[in-house]
Amino acid sequence: MEQTATYLVYIPLLPLIGALVVGILHLATCRTNRLPEKLYGILGCIGPVLSFILALRVFFTLKGLAAEERVLTQELFTWFSVGELDVSMGFLADPLSSLMLIFVTLIGSLIHIYSIGYMAEDRNFGKFFAYMNLFLGSMLILVLGAGPVVMFVGWEGVGLCSYLLISYYSEDRDNVIAGNKAFIVNRIGDLGFVLGMSFLFWGIGADGFDFLSLKANAHNLTPALGITVCLLLFVGATGKSAQIPLYVWLPDAMAGPTPVSALIHAATMVTAGVYMVARFSFIYAHAPVAGAVVAWTGILTALLAAVFAMYQRDIKKILAYSTVSQLGYMFAGVGVAAYSAGIFHVFTHAFFKALLFLGAGSVIYALHHQQDIWKMGGLKEKMPITYKTMLIGALALAGCPPFSGFFSKDEILYSALATGHYGIWLVGVGVAAMTAYYTFRMIFVVFHGQPRDREAFNHAHEPSKVMTIPLIILAVGALFAGFLNLPGIFGGDLEVSHWLAPSLVEHHPHTSWFVELLAIIISIGAFALGFRAAYRKFGAGADEPSYTGFKQFGYRKFYVDEIYHYLIVAPYQLTGKAISYFIEPYITDGPVKLTSWLYKMAGAAFKLVQVGYVRVYAIYMVIGLSIMSLLLAQSLNL
Amino acid sequence: MPDIILSIMIFVPISTGLLLLLVPAGKEAARGVGLVVSVIVVLLSLKLFFSFSGAAATFEFAQKIPLIDSLGISYSLGVDGISLLVLMAAATLFPMVYLLFKSREKGYYSNLLIVQGAMIGAVCASDMVLFYIFWEVMLLPIFFMIGFYGGPNRLAATLKITIYTIAGSLLMLASIAYIGVAYHAQTGQWSFDMANLAQMSLSGSTATLAFIGFMIAFAIKIPLFPFHTWLPDAYTEAPTGATFVLSAIMAKIGIYAVIRFVVPVFAEGMTNYGLLLAYAGVIGMIYCGVTALAQKDFKRMLAFSSASHMGVIAIGIFCMNVQALTGTLYQVVAHATSTGVLFLLLGIIEERMETRNIEDLGGVAYKAPVFALFFAVAMLASVGLPGTSGFIGEFLIILGAVKFNVTIAVLTGTTLIVGVCYMLWMFQRVFFEKNNQKTETFQDLTLIETLTILPIIILIIFMGIFPQPFIQKITPAAEHHTARHQAASGSSVHLADNRVLQISDKQEKD
Repeated sequence: MEQTATYLVYIPLLPLIGALVVGILHLATCRTNRLPEKLYGILGCIGPVLSFILALRVFFTLKGLAAEERVLTQELFTWFSVGELDVSMGFLADPLSSLMLIFVTLIGSLIHIYSIGYMAEDRNFGKFFAYMNLFLGSMLILVLGAGPVVMFVGWEGVGLCSYLLISYYSEDRDNVIAGNKAFIVNRIGDLGFVLGMSFLFWGIGADGFDFLSLKANAHNLTPALGITVCLLLFVGATGKSAQIPLYVWLPDAMAGPTPVSALIHAATMVTAGVYMVARFSFIYAHAPVAGAVVAWTGILTALLAAVFAMYQRDIKKILAYSTVSQLGYMFAGVGVAAYSAGIFHVFTHAFFKALLFLGAGSVIYALHHQQDIWKMGGLKEKMPITYKTMLIGALALAGCPPFSGFFSKDEILYSALATGHYGIWLVGVGVAAMTAYYTFRMIFVVFHGQPRDREAFNHAHEPSKVMTIPLIILAVGALFAGFLNLPGIFGGDLEVSHWLAPSLVEHHPHTSWFVELLAIIISIGAFALGFRAAYRKFGAGADEPSYTGFKQFGYRKFYVDEIYHYLIVAPYQLTGKAISYFIEPYITDGPVKLTSWLYKMAGAAFKLVQVGYVRVYAIYMVIGLSIMSLLLAQSLNL
Repeated sequence: MPDIILSIMIFVPISTGLLLLLVPAGKEAARGVGLVVSVIVVLLSLKLFFSFSGAAATFEFAQKIPLIDSLGISYSLGVDGISLLVLMAAATLFPMVYLLFKSREKGYYSNLLIVQGAMIGAVCASDMVLFYIFWEVMLLPIFFMIGFYGGPNRLAATLKITIYTIAGSLLMLASIAYIGVAYHAQTGQWSFDMANLAQMSLSGSTATLAFIGFMIAFAIKIPLFPFHTWLPDAYTEAPTGATFVLSAIMAKIGIYAVIRFVVPVFAEGMTNYGLLLAYAGVIGMIYCGVTALAQKDFKRMLAFSSASHMGVIAIGIFCMNVQALTGTLYQVVAHATSTGVLFLLLGIIEERMETRNIEDLGGVAYKAPVFALFFAVAMLASVGLPGTSGFIGEFLIILGAVKFNVTIAVLTGTTLIVGVCYMLWMFQRVFFEKNNQKTETFQDLTLIETLTILPIIILIIFMGIFPQPFIQKITPAAEHHTARHQAASGSSVHLADNRVLQISDKQEKD
């Protein structure tokens, strides 16, 4: 049934080679003579672009096969084999991974190109491209991994790159702390992933620990173990994909350069958790309890992050919370077993969110690293391409028909409704209205009205073509991607869902067309409501509001970071101090210290009698002899 | 004649070391001799590694000369899958020490030579008495190195490690004597050969005492909580070479000795106390890992980090399944390479900037990118990042622990989190942030230093991507070992199995 494709390995390998070459070049020359940036730029872009071409090849090869035969595999070598455990280094391309491949490599390539412009003045240009290539290679391993362990290689690899790129401007301590936070929080999730994998292995992994074998043996997994595995894996997903309670690292991750935020912390890496749940749909589909946990966690995260997004003033933070919120939608989708709907939202979101971030990057770049929206304003005339493309992205994010986000989000909400998850649907509709509000709050404040910082405004200008062309391409994606998966009511046939079907275990719910239509109308209503509120408040330009009351509470993100700090971080540090200054020297080491102290004391006691005078020793001798004589006399009964 | 290859690897370094003490040689000459000998040992060990088959789970390159016939003590050596990787760690890593640190006394190099030979001897000895002899011989150079060439508080550190070690050695000696007597009582013959001793299974209260004696001796060396308190002082005060030997290799010989000598003979003890010992490993891992966070002295931080990782490695022994045991044996080398490189690089920092205080450092990555890259790779291996050698072992241990005991497994897994906390914070303060006066002039690795460390860095990555060539040499022995233990201890296996199965029982009630 499955075919081998020997070129799969090159998809992740090419960017990895790029990382190695660029990295070594940078390392060899950074201290002395710097190489021209163009060279790094070109070297850095070769890998991603070639991977994109190979991704297309994978797609068309799969398309040429019958639906149920759409599986390409490649086994490179036995990675490690111990007892029943046999893990091979192998790759798997099926409809699900091919969809991921295409947008990851396409958006990856575009952002690499954009970075040539954005990072032009950076002195570590080579290092940046080495990290970006390393990231892309890891992400492609994650997507293509034939089994959970290979997937985990990519999973942790992207985490490492995320850390390196968040801490990129490492002279500033706060950036490094943000990087550390991302790595550590992700590690908490990874613990879940590792344990989930281990349970899965002892459940059904002995007959092959790759996705195809696991899928074939999934029926042997006992329901309780299935739920355990699903929940543990989902812990991993909450880390990587920034869901409650582990979402806190993502907003801080905005400390990295903006192209990084666009690629890693919006379009690709953070959606890995959704991809993983979809990849394991053969287990999740049989564990509806775990699915409900996933869905509710997702939709509540969507709600919470949307509230935060409404009160942020840093343009990247707004977009970051918006990402968290949209990821919540995706989990709501895969949680109600609408895996294809979740993945389709991953797909469209990648375009419009990458677009919004890159657009924000252009604005930040033009204003010399100003990120506060209340220092912007009126940029519409100065930066028409950025404005128009960002507007398309905003409409897609806010769920305005016929932009891509509308269709993908609607599919999720409809799935929730059709499977009877009314609560999730209701919250989802509310979040949709909030999304429209915070998105257009951002657009209006940044681009409309009067400039708030005249000096910066005068210097602002549209960036060069190397930055605007990727924006335009992404805008086309954000505008039209939704048409790839039109539901029947709009004359489509859910093509993407059908494409994904062989990779997933899902049943499409059916309701009457009336319910479907009603859901759509309510979704549009939610958009209109949010948009109208934003327009009335900010449409004509608004003054910076004072942050008091609930606004302040929302702006400070309900003080969750502070709560985590005082409940977890500070006690942890305190424990370390307590052990090293008190417990270790006085308690754990106590017996040893006591022993040596007793020796010393014994020595001191003996020292008292060992005075060194012959006459004293003579007295000892007399005393000793007397005692001995007495004892002797006693024992002889004299 | 492959039979004497082990003897050569043992006695060439030891005799060279002794000879160096006698002849009036200069520092440079001593270093040169040490380097040549260590390279010879590396070459021999590579030859041994590639001709080692491992398929049969028996001793290869065996050599046996009776020493004291009346007591059945013999000079018997051999390598099997259990000892192979420990041996490789002891044999291959030494040239780095000679190449990186130049300005040391003659005696320093002489002690290094002796300790290497003795460690190889301890790893290869298949006679318990012979093992004991090598074990004692390998400890002496460490006392000397700390006592003579250590830091300002070296005397206190030496005293502490001496008290600890002598206590452990005496307990071990008593236990070895007991085992000999017990064997004599069971068979009417004297023997200390592991091949014979492994045939018997000891039980009863005296056996438990002997088991505890052995375990304490090795727990001190590994170190297992709460017998670790000598370690931070000793590691910190020791000169870099001795710290390297202690952390990268000698600790692993403790691990190895438990697997080789304790598990086969004391099946009952392992069954009864395995869980307790696993908890000691877990507590040690968390305790030392949390403590590492609070350290201001870079070396002390790495010392606690090393102790924390040794806890995880030890857990793999007590889980008694082939995955966990293989993980432990693999992690022995993975940890030796990563922690070894970390201590060596720290030694370079100490030499060039004359400080180990983390707060005094900063921005090293900008001044020394190659240095920073090497350090980062070793650090990532230490925290078990996939793609480095550290992941394979840790993953296998956690996977095996899930079968053994779920609580142990979850707690073991927290090493993923504990490790990154202190490592990243240290990395931030040492390599990132801003330069200061001290780090402003920090020189990157020279070409020779780069070429010295590069092979190990490549090995760390190679072992993460291609572990199977190593693993296939050790799994047959590990399988044999666990199977024999399970046969000897009978019911314990079923107990362990049940823990995973309990979950499936529950669902049937649902």
